[in-house]
Amino acid sequence: MKGVAISFREVTKSFDQKIVLDRVSLEVSPGEVLVLLGRSGCGKTTLLRLVNRLVDADAGGVYVGGREVADWDPVELRRGIGYAIQGVGLLPNLSVGDNVSLVPRLLGWNAERRRERAAEMLRLVGLDPREHGGRRPDQLSGGQRQRVGVARALAADPQALLMDEPFGAVDPIGRRSLQEEFRSLSRELGKTVLFVTHDVSEAFRLADRIAVVADGGIRQVGTPGEIRDSPADALVRGLIEGAA
Amino acid sequence: MSFLEFLAGRWTEILGLTLEHVVLVVISTVAGVLIAVPLGLAITRIPALGRPVLGFAGVIQTVPSLALFGLLIPLPFIGGIGSRTAIIALVLYALLPILRNTVTGVRQVDPAILDAANGMGMTDWQRLTLVEVPLALPSIFSGIRIATVVGVGLVTIAAAVGAGGLGSLIFRGLAMLDSRLLFAGAIPSAILALLADAGLAMLEARLVASRGAPTP
Repeated sequence: MKGVAISFREVTKSFDQKIVLDRVSLEVSPGEVLVLLGRSGCGKTTLLRLVNRLVDADAGGVYVGGREVADWDPVELRRGIGYAIQGVGLLPNLSVGDNVSLVPRLLGWNAERRRERAAEMLRLVGLDPREHGGRRPDQLSGGQRQRVGVARALAADPQALLMDEPFGAVDPIGRRSLQEEFRSLSRELGKTVLFVTHDVSEAFRLADRIAVVADGGIRQVGTPGEIRDSPADALVRGLIEGAA
Repeated sequence: MSFLEFLAGRWTEILGLTLEHVVLVVISTVAGVLIAVPLGLAITRIPALGRPVLGFAGVIQTVPSLALFGLLIPLPFIGGIGSRTAIIALVLYALLPILRNTVTGVRQVDPAILDAANGMGMTDWQRLTLVEVPLALPSIFSGIRIATVVGVGLVTIAAAVGAGGLGSLIFRGLAMLDSRLLFAGAIPSAILALLADAGLAMLEARLVASRGAPTP
């Protein structure tokens, strides 16, 4: 399934009376990789979690494929959106293959189709289904686990992918190759990807467009080139140059 | 007459009482599991239940067992002399360790795994059965193990309300000042406790080892 558009319109969210997002609007085009870049606590993860309703907005609307997420049953919505996070969250009691085919299992696919899909997805992220599929997650390296996390997020052919620092726990070299592979993979699949990171170089490597998030708002949205060449304000410039 | 000769003369009686002992422990532990595991899982879903239920189980645990057996005797329907009273008391004692370990086991599940489970679109029931219970199983199991071993010891005291088991030898030995009788009850009971602990530990190890095995 090709990607769908995701839009945020005047979204406000607070936790315990602290405003985390203040009237945020953002458009993500179908098939685009949009990276939410910002320091920890800036609200970027909350923005991401609004899309699959792990968080509900106080005001404003979030739309996936033109339909407001508040109108969806959260469970149904989430099964149509891939989700990968920093801790990966693989189930230690299931094999790697069974982890990958978990959403298809929730969707009621039969065992045969699930097995095929798991093998296909593992190959897609550069793992050998025969070698790795039967192992337990704790028998894989950190980088391999992250790959499995990506494979799992893609398994049910979602209309969009939400990724929250999915390569955060890998060593720098492994991280680099994961990023490169993910970039070509996301181009090839044409999924809409919303990707959260605090790592500036990761953002520049992966993004079609970057949205710089700070203090509960979006400071600038643009291609990596636009952001590098004409940062909107001192904060954006500081963030980019701090990493250089 | 040596102690061994004494045992040899009574081995059928000792064996019979041991069997009675085991049956009492098994019935009360199984009943304890059937009550405490679902109740513990309910607490993880309805946190307001936690304080009263765990509090109640905790209070029972502080009542000396002999007193609890005694308190149950005069109660209509559930009380009286015999194994029924004993089983009720034993079930009550089994509740706390199993309850507590069930609740702790579920609460200790890695938040990243829960977040992923929610994000993948699991219903609450699927999260419970596919994620939380399997991951809490070792903790739940060690609660059951504690309850069983404690149960073996408590059943000896249940003989005071006429429940039978190895405790009847111990109480008879105490009444008749016959240390041979006392040991004939106490030693098998101690061995039972050790066997139960070791057996359940083995089962637990196999359970943990089989986790993660590919499912068809």
